[in-house]
Amino acid sequence: MPSSNLVIIAAAGARKTERVVDTALADPTKRTLIVTYTNENQREITARIQRKTGVIPANVEVMGWFAFLINECARPFQRSVFGQPHYLRRLNFIGNKPDYIAKTNPAYFFDRHHDIYRDGVSDFAVLANTNTNASVIRRLERAYDHILIDEVQDLTGFDLDLLDLLLRSQIEITAVGDPRQFMIRTTNATRNRKYCGTGIVDWFKERADICQLEEQCYSYRCRKEICEFADALFPAMPDTESRNNSEDEHVGTFVIGATEVTAYVEKYTPTILTYDKNRDTQGFPGMNIGMAKGSTHDRVLIFPSGTMLAYVKSRDLAKFREPSKLYVAVTRARFSATFVDPST
Amino acid sequence: MRKRAVIKKIIIKNYRIFQDFELAFNEKLNILVGDNDIGKSTVVEAINLALTSRLNGKFLAQELTPYLFNALTTSDYVSKLASDPKTTPPEIIIEVYLEDQPGSEILCGSNSLDGTESYGVRLRIALDPDFAEEYSEFISDPTQVSLVPTEYYKVEWLGFSGNGISYRSIPATASLIDATTIRLQSGADFYLQGIIGEHLTKKERVELSRSYRSLREKFSDNESVKTVNTKLSGTKGDVSNKTLSLSIDISQRYTWESSLAAHLDDLPFQFIGKGEQNTLKILLALNRKIDDTHIVLIEEPENHLSFSSLNILVSKIAEKCKDKQVIVTTHNSYVLNKLGLENLILLNDSGGVGIRDLPDTTQDYFKKLSGYDTLRLVLAKSAILVEGPSDELIVQRAYMSAHSGKLPIEDGIDVINVRGLAFSRFLDIAKLLKKKTAVVRDNDGKDKARLNKRYEAYTTEDYLTVHFSTDTSLKTLEPQLRSANGRELLNTIFGTTFASDEELDDYMEDNKTTCALALFSTKEQLNMPDYIKNAVQ
Repeated sequence: MPSSNLVIIAAAGARKTERVVDTALADPTKRTLIVTYTNENQREITARIQRKTGVIPANVEVMGWFAFLINECARPFQRSVFGQPHYLRRLNFIGNKPDYIAKTNPAYFFDRHHDIYRDGVSDFAVLANTNTNASVIRRLERAYDHILIDEVQDLTGFDLDLLDLLLRSQIEITAVGDPRQFMIRTTNATRNRKYCGTGIVDWFKERADICQLEEQCYSYRCRKEICEFADALFPAMPDTESRNNSEDEHVGTFVIGATEVTAYVEKYTPTILTYDKNRDTQGFPGMNIGMAKGSTHDRVLIFPSGTMLAYVKSRDLAKFREPSKLYVAVTRARFSATFVDPST
Repeated sequence: MRKRAVIKKIIIKNYRIFQDFELAFNEKLNILVGDNDIGKSTVVEAINLALTSRLNGKFLAQELTPYLFNALTTSDYVSKLASDPKTTPPEIIIEVYLEDQPGSEILCGSNSLDGTESYGVRLRIALDPDFAEEYSEFISDPTQVSLVPTEYYKVEWLGFSGNGISYRSIPATASLIDATTIRLQSGADFYLQGIIGEHLTKKERVELSRSYRSLREKFSDNESVKTVNTKLSGTKGDVSNKTLSLSIDISQRYTWESSLAAHLDDLPFQFIGKGEQNTLKILLALNRKIDDTHIVLIEEPENHLSFSSLNILVSKIAEKCKDKQVIVTTHNSYVLNKLGLENLILLNDSGGVGIRDLPDTTQDYFKKLSGYDTLRLVLAKSAILVEGPSDELIVQRAYMSAHSGKLPIEDGIDVINVRGLAFSRFLDIAKLLKKKTAVVRDNDGKDKARLNKRYEAYTTEDYLTVHFSTDTSLKTLEPQLRSANGRELLNTIFGTTFASDEELDDYMEDNKTTCALALFSTKEQLNMPDYIKNAVQ
């Protein structure tokens, strides 16, 4: 019997999140948990469910990845790791796990307020599960029939070990993601490093016995011109077929000079994306690229970093380190993605 | 459908009378008995508190007072603080352990005092770290500290997963039924309200609120109210330029719960006899059929009830609670016998002792003969069991002679008249409770071997002793007394002039209690038969 676990690797605009929401709402008898990596996406999923059903049904829960790790995996059996109940307070999202401290020392995982470093949470959860002879997983099995994981590409290090345990549990797992949209996070974890980013596809392929892999190489959102630009960033990944055939007067990727921005904004009213808050957007309100993940817009106007702009001009991947950010930025657009060159 | 909720165990630290308390519960009926002030009500209160985080109907966080803390804990803290400002401020912990509730995983984990994987709720009252600075300031002068500074405390309500819970997360609900009627200003009974509220479905409650609101709206449409309001608005300008009118407050604060009164045969609930109020409340709670997740807590059902009403009520409790977990506190032997001695839990300050293994025949026996004072035996420090009222008086007198005039009860020893019942029934209970008990009985002409054989199941325990005379020629108490004291002395005490022992014996047999009373109160020096002397040592 093939595994009921399903992993969907899909391009931007393939309606991944939509699929997650529809699957979650499909069976009201199943206790379903939707986990996603970022707060923005968590809000987006909640809003979509509310748009479809008015309220979140009682059998569905939406949770951030760290809330899931801490409240449902690490906390219930924390006693089994250092013998202390009620020790773990909350997440330390900013600090880094200290180097050169033994894993048998609580300071490896916790700061002095007993907040757990984000790099250590899944490691700790897996440890608690091992020490309790799988109580952590058994508890989850009793709590949920189905767990859906959105943005699965963002799981790294020990997150994958926990995912492996979940895939082998009685819980039905559905994971969706796009490795091209992997957001590099500062981590000194070496575990599972080769499965970071596009490597996660290999991780799933190695687990063909416990999950079915489905690759969706199409985009309902982006026009062909956008797909081609985005595909060029990841030559190792299969090409994306555009399923957006609507016509528009302004389609493709463009570069404009700083002096043309006002006129361009007036003419096309694009959504403005910035590489970071230090870009001069000439007073127009912009959104960081990372925050825009998951959203759809007709047009985007991008204030890029220097290396991004250099790539756009040269199309030389050899020197380009941040294809994911650029991929996310352009694939927000249905029709046009335009870059601002501050030098002209 | 959720699984039947059952409380397996409660652990209490530093709450009221309990400093360190742990008690396991039966799956169905639990009868808590114990001396006054041993904390029967506190156990029930603590369960309710842990399951609802409410105390006296209000959120615990708003009801925090230093007096919730155990007195010993408090004085310990205060005295330690004087020498060491780093003394850990005390905290209250109440943990309720439930039988496994798959699906309510927020309750599951090992974040409990017990430390094993289990389902349960933990209520903790502890220093709020946000107030650490204010607290240090406060204790900088320890002489000012006489109580636990609960104003710097917070309430934590967690499942054993370690995550915060809400009322909805707990599959078990509890009705607390207290005989002492606590009333709100409006006169409706708080407990009654709660019970009615729980009795209704969500939909019924909404309907009720809606019709209540429309009733209030109709009030202002009433002609005479309109007239009054027109008149009132005419006075505009006297004190203010705004329009004054009368209306019923339809804000959320005044809901049907606080305004509607229950009526029984058209009598408002508070005008019904207290006994009937109590019965009604208990029956309402027991009748709740919504689901089996319900735990019923009953405080002293015997209050305000006549014997016959009590009989009916107790049968109802027994019948309705077949599938529910019920925790009853009582002071009443009748309630105890009728509901089943096997369900008894005798409380002490660190836990309780049950007598689950009482032989079925003995349980049946007391269920049928419910008037017997089993509870007296249960509560006594130690007991002397006797056959009848005259034996009781003589044993008391013997005890006083042996202990410089002190009555046995002053030493916590209860002399219990078993009134013709077999001693073995009481010894069954005494054995399970490991209660020091002496039996004083007539030999009825039976020899030592025969009588010893009868009690051999009990006398292997060193705290159980059976005392009788080995002189089979003196079959009962009266000839024993005559033999020990001589005819002459007894004639003096009774004011009689019997010429033979037989005549005196006959007189004493015919006037047992009168003679016993005379002996009990005589100023003469009495000599007690040896077996009685032994028993009162």
